[in-house]
Amino acid sequence: MEKHLSDKFYTAMKKLEPRYPTKKALILPALHQAQEEYGWLPKEVLAEIAEYIGVHAAQIREVASFYTMYNLKPVGKNHIKICTNVACCLRGADELMSFAEKKLGIKCGETTPDGLFSLSEEECLGACTTAPAMMANDDYIEELDVNKLNDFIEKMKVVKS
Amino acid sequence: MSQTTLFEQHFWKESNRTLEYYLQSMNGYQAAQKVLKEMSPDQVIDEVKKGNIRGRGGAGFPMGMKWSFIPKASEKPKYLVCNADESEPGTCKDRQIIRYTPHLLIEGLIIGSFAIGCKHAYVYIRGEYVREAKLLNAAIDEAYAKGYLGKNIFGSGFDLEITVHRGAGAYICGEETGLLNSLEGKRGEPRVKPPFPAVSGAFGCPTAVNNVESIANVPHLIRMGGDAFAQLGKVDKSGGTRLISLSGHVKKPGVYEIQAGSMTLRQIIDHLGGGVINDKKLKAVIPGGSSSPILSADEIDVVYDVEPLMKVGTMMGSAAIMVIHEDTDLVKLLMRITKFYEHESCGQCTPCREGCHWMESILHKIIHHEAKPSDLDLLVDVAQNIGGKTLCALGDAAAGPVISFVKKFRPEFEAYIKGQKIYA
Amino acid sequence: MPKCTIDGKEVEFKPGENLITVAKRAGVEIPVFCYHPGLTVVAQCRMCYVEVEKMPKLQTACSTMAAEGMVVKTQSDPVVKGRAGTMEFLLLNHPLDCPICDKAGECDLQDNSYGHGSAYMRHSEERRTYVDVDMGPVIEKNMNRCIHCTRCIRFGEEVAGIHEMVAIKRGNNIDITTIDGNPLQTEYAGNYADICPTGSLTLRDFRFRKRAWMLKKTATVCEGCSKGCNMEIQHEGNVIYRCVPRENLEINKYWMCDEGRFNYHYTQDPTRILNPRSGNASISWATAIQELKSATEGKKVTFLVGSDLTQEELTTVQEYVKAYQKDSSVYHFGTEGVAEIADDGQADQILKMKSKTSNLFGAEKLGIKNVSSMKSTSDVVVVIRGGRADLESALKQVQGKKIIGMGVFLEKDAAPFSMILPGLAFTEKDGTVFNHSGIEQKIKRAIVPKNTVKTVSEVLMLVANQKTKEAVV
Repeated sequence: MEKHLSDKFYTAMKKLEPRYPTKKALILPALHQAQEEYGWLPKEVLAEIAEYIGVHAAQIREVASFYTMYNLKPVGKNHIKICTNVACCLRGADELMSFAEKKLGIKCGETTPDGLFSLSEEECLGACTTAPAMMANDDYIEELDVNKLNDFIEKMKVVKS
Repeated sequence: MSQTTLFEQHFWKESNRTLEYYLQSMNGYQAAQKVLKEMSPDQVIDEVKKGNIRGRGGAGFPMGMKWSFIPKASEKPKYLVCNADESEPGTCKDRQIIRYTPHLLIEGLIIGSFAIGCKHAYVYIRGEYVREAKLLNAAIDEAYAKGYLGKNIFGSGFDLEITVHRGAGAYICGEETGLLNSLEGKRGEPRVKPPFPAVSGAFGCPTAVNNVESIANVPHLIRMGGDAFAQLGKVDKSGGTRLISLSGHVKKPGVYEIQAGSMTLRQIIDHLGGGVINDKKLKAVIPGGSSSPILSADEIDVVYDVEPLMKVGTMMGSAAIMVIHEDTDLVKLLMRITKFYEHESCGQCTPCREGCHWMESILHKIIHHEAKPSDLDLLVDVAQNIGGKTLCALGDAAAGPVISFVKKFRPEFEAYIKGQKIYA
Repeated sequence: MPKCTIDGKEVEFKPGENLITVAKRAGVEIPVFCYHPGLTVVAQCRMCYVEVEKMPKLQTACSTMAAEGMVVKTQSDPVVKGRAGTMEFLLLNHPLDCPICDKAGECDLQDNSYGHGSAYMRHSEERRTYVDVDMGPVIEKNMNRCIHCTRCIRFGEEVAGIHEMVAIKRGNNIDITTIDGNPLQTEYAGNYADICPTGSLTLRDFRFRKRAWMLKKTATVCEGCSKGCNMEIQHEGNVIYRCVPRENLEINKYWMCDEGRFNYHYTQDPTRILNPRSGNASISWATAIQELKSATEGKKVTFLVGSDLTQEELTTVQEYVKAYQKDSSVYHFGTEGVAEIADDGQADQILKMKSKTSNLFGAEKLGIKNVSSMKSTSDVVVVIRGGRADLESALKQVQGKKIIGMGVFLEKDAAPFSMILPGLAFTEKDGTVFNHSGIEQKIKRAIVPKNTVKTVSEVLMLVANQKTKEAVV
């Protein structure tokens, strides 16, 4: 089988192996690590993880598809996830979502044609006392308002290259 | 009333999260040292029992009792697993602990591991807390470097490893057996109980699963002594302080700390939260995370703790209070809550998988004025067919809001069905 | 033994037994979907609710172990309402295609709906639908009918040893499936159809061939290998439509392999030889018996008997040789490389044995030796086989001799034989077989054989009695 995952991936996994009593426990860390490299999780990558862990390819697929953070389809370079759960909703998350849709010209759940932005609705992020909040790639932006959202999008447009 | 706090004063300053600060300003690692050098595991568990810590994750189970369930004579390894999945909507207190006092958690893990005989503790942290996981790992590295973790800690002969395991976006992994499956590399589907984790938990071994705040309280408890810790609580069977996540329509949302049972819900909203924003009238309060049955404005003179809230038909859960003012469309809010549970249902058991979706569909019809008058009773009946019938507590979490919203705010639902518009 | 009370009846139980098992003993049937005695308990379907005294919530009987003094109610109002609630939930998305569903008539969903559901429907929402993937030649998938009991997933993981059936996504969108349309890899795939409580996984081989309630059932034993899996032949109008495993906890538990399940097909093969023939020409039985007599009478003959024959057939041959063929010898044949029981063993981790015939143990018990130990052979060889014994391994030792065949042969087998006397397949006769560990079991006639075939004893008796006149046969 052709290798897709880097040495970095295998080194990271080797380091983690002794920290768990079973190899299967490495499935979540492996999926995180692979997604960090690929931005999403193509089938071939999942199959390679299955081979590394020593389970059936279907088993990796079943685990990966359970968790919302694993992207089983490609996503934009910047992934904006706006929390619309109760606390954020009470603090105007719906308006922020509408703004983001208009600003990016896409609907929630879509990716801009240039592949720069994906927009999704997020369930509670655990930033309720600083609501509304969004997750932008790995970071939280809290006490979010239209200006902050606008600034983030503008900033990311510039770092396009 | 002036409050004794154990956490709050250390929050919001990034420099507080260092080991140096912890050692200098918080008597860092002295409790662990005392435990490892001077106490037996049973003595630690007894002290924790005396301290009356109730689980801070949601169920409110007495922590000392949980630890005492771990069999002493077991050939299998034992595990302490810290639940840092913090996923009940409204809750964001554990995040504060990890961000600002991570060493408190690590020290708590050392003491807890010693008490139950665990050699490798895991912290299961929700996937979205990318930054928090990094901070925690950095703190763990600091502790390893100082010899507070690893082999022969404080020369006591006790060894402990800690591994941070990241989740990947699933509310249900906050349920302890769902969490354990996720830790094992499986789908985060809750397990049938019995066997309980104390008998067969992580990797089939005896396991205690405790919330971040519960574990982070342990060093305080040991330092103060169980009795003094218990006395911080102002109601029976509930010791220490409580971190409250106060959000929604209050002037000053935030994570606050009060002595357990020392304030009513109204006092918390008025004194800590500064009252309702724009001086609007209070309409309702969700007192313990989005799964707790809603309270109407006239029900909030209740002492904010596990048992008083249970008596008024709701629950303290993870101590996440969401305040709702008069201009809020509760039908839409319920729809949002129901949608959440529908989205997070793992799908393994019938009532939750099918029922949450059905409730969402009925609410959708109500909101779009497509519902029949009988649909409201149908909605409640469906909720009752879910509540108490599911494999884990998610079913109850989804059913509770529906039943309480309709019971307490029925006219708003009826208005929708009649095609009337209350809110713009 | 400890006792508990179920619906007012006191019942004894063994510690560790769940309430479903204990209730059954008390004559109380508790409805289930996800529970299967051969699989782990997951308590997911929430159908088997019972009320247990001192417990505030309804309990699932599958995951509740009986305890001393436990008082259980299986028919109380909360139980009835709980089960009706579960039935309603399960039917929200189940299509009403029972009339064209192969599972109809033996469907747990139908039966439990009839027993515990409501006659009225309260929902008007659109049903959830799926696009089905191909799963290979054995199983046809219809996900719309699935009730997510996960029996198939657990069967794959726990019994078949392969985690190829999985749950993809979660919640209301969960899909129980294989991935990418790959064919099922397990050689036990037919069991997926047996354990599926709805028509979500059905047997392609059986699809649209017969309504389940028309089938007659004959309890017998599989002849596919020396395991002796218990099975049921299901037939109607003297035609077999399928074979399914029959519970035997000592041998095959609840399962059987696909090879055994589909093995019966050769007995109904259009090329099966059903008339006596000499060379390529059909002959009468009178001629056939006459020819067999003249070819063997007073001569040294080698008899090769398949270890796929019943104990009765093997004994008949042995006795016949003793009485009428003094200097002749008898050897058995069956599976290349498995000459005796000592060579036999598990062919996989599940059920399959190396010996591909059903009665090697029986042949050995009679003192018959394997053909591989044969030093020399006579000019005339009589090969008698049930239908599965491997001809090649027998015939390679007797090349160039006059070979007469008795038993079940297809056209493709015919060439080496100078004459063939057609016999009965395992589905057409009664008899005894001994499995690899010596367990004695009965095979049963499910199908009335064609009147142009004869049993081993008929043929040998006719030869022995020299009653070879046309009129007699």
